[in-house]
Amino acid sequence: MFKLTIVTPEKTIIKDAELAEITLPAHSGELNILPGHSELMTVLTAGKLSFKLMDGSLFDYAIAWGYCQITPEGVTVLAEKAFDKDQINIGQISKEYKQLEDKINQETLEDKAYFDLIKQMHEIRAQLELKS
Amino acid sequence: MPSLKDIRTRIDATKNTQQITKAMKLVAAAKLRKAQQQIVSMRPYAQGLMYVIQNLVKADSVKHPLIKGSLGEQVELNSSEAKNLLLVILTSDRGLCGGFNGQVIKFSEAFIEENKTQYDKIDVFIVGKKGAEYFARRGAEAVEVIYRLDKDISYNLATQLGSKLTEYFTSGNYQEIKFVFNEFKSAISQKVNCEQLLPITHKAHVQEGISKELNLVTPEARQFIFEPASELILNELIEKHIVVQIFRYLAESVAAEHGARMTAMENATNNARDVISKLTLTYNKIRQEKITTELTEIVSGAEAL
Repeated sequence: MFKLTIVTPEKTIIKDAELAEITLPAHSGELNILPGHSELMTVLTAGKLSFKLMDGSLFDYAIAWGYCQITPEGVTVLAEKAFDKDQINIGQISKEYKQLEDKINQETLEDKAYFDLIKQMHEIRAQLELKS
Repeated sequence: MPSLKDIRTRIDATKNTQQITKAMKLVAAAKLRKAQQQIVSMRPYAQGLMYVIQNLVKADSVKHPLIKGSLGEQVELNSSEAKNLLLVILTSDRGLCGGFNGQVIKFSEAFIEENKTQYDKIDVFIVGKKGAEYFARRGAEAVEVIYRLDKDISYNLATQLGSKLTEYFTSGNYQEIKFVFNEFKSAISQKVNCEQLLPITHKAHVQEGISKELNLVTPEARQFIFEPASELILNELIEKHIVVQIFRYLAESVAAEHGARMTAMENATNNARDVISKLTLTYNKIRQEKITTELTEIVSGAEAL
């Protein structure tokens, strides 16, 4: 039994589902997990999280930050934000993306503010990529 | 004695008020349900984070600037250090919610008065218009004021607030950050609570069975690979933990506000009903008296003829 559980502050997306395969945007690059993976604790960055259940159904989510724990029993993800395709409003997001780009192009930004904006930009880019 | 017309006007006016309070009660009830939902659905995430943090700290005995001592023991602050306290007070933007704001403000003032000697400086950070107005009248200057909480208690707001407060803490401006807010107990009762956000000293209550529910295990039980190193993971987890805590305080406060408003409006509606029935009674009495007087006048008039 290799189980998948994903929770966000807004809801529990999936719980104890039988997992066949999952791809995560991990700290040091994309990570593909199959049953029997060695035990791992990692943080996730903004990107696309997709998984396939034992019954063959496929799911894709755009996530922001996350924490992930992999054990022989399964995978648990605590994601800060997770959107599926239907939740993403392309018009609104592209607008936000433009605004962020404009802000980033200003030269007066401090380092911290700059990195915050870059982070937000990655989040939005993940959503855009999922939608397209 | 008031004339019939006066009383009728009053009855109508009270009826209008009753309608308004009734509508407000319904609106508050609907919003309350939503806010309550938010608190409940956030729980697994928040609890999961806390569970992982506690176990990481235990396993590696990691020192973290935002954690005072090891989790689980209450640490006495060293009295020789400079101590500035930032009190974050959560109030609402709108009134008509019973003792909601009054309670928080009263509690905060009592708290400040009581702990004056323990700290070098106590500053307030206010969320909500009602609190801001009150403290402005008192001439107490707030470090910062945030409005429009009930419109969006979005996670983004909590994130912004979190990075701001962490900044205050790490830059050494404040050695302690506490939140005063109404905790949502049930739709009819709220309790004012004071919780410490930073440094993280007390053991947060991790619900029994959360590890099982989310399939989380403790790092010491297994041979985990950490990616990145466990300290870095902990760093990020703590950052998110702070945001989640703030989000919970905000959500609790908003739910409590709607609960308080619902109760207040329910009472107001009942009062209006009582007033209406009393006024109607007086109205009828006066009407009857008037008829009797008129009749007597007619009868005595006829007799005089």
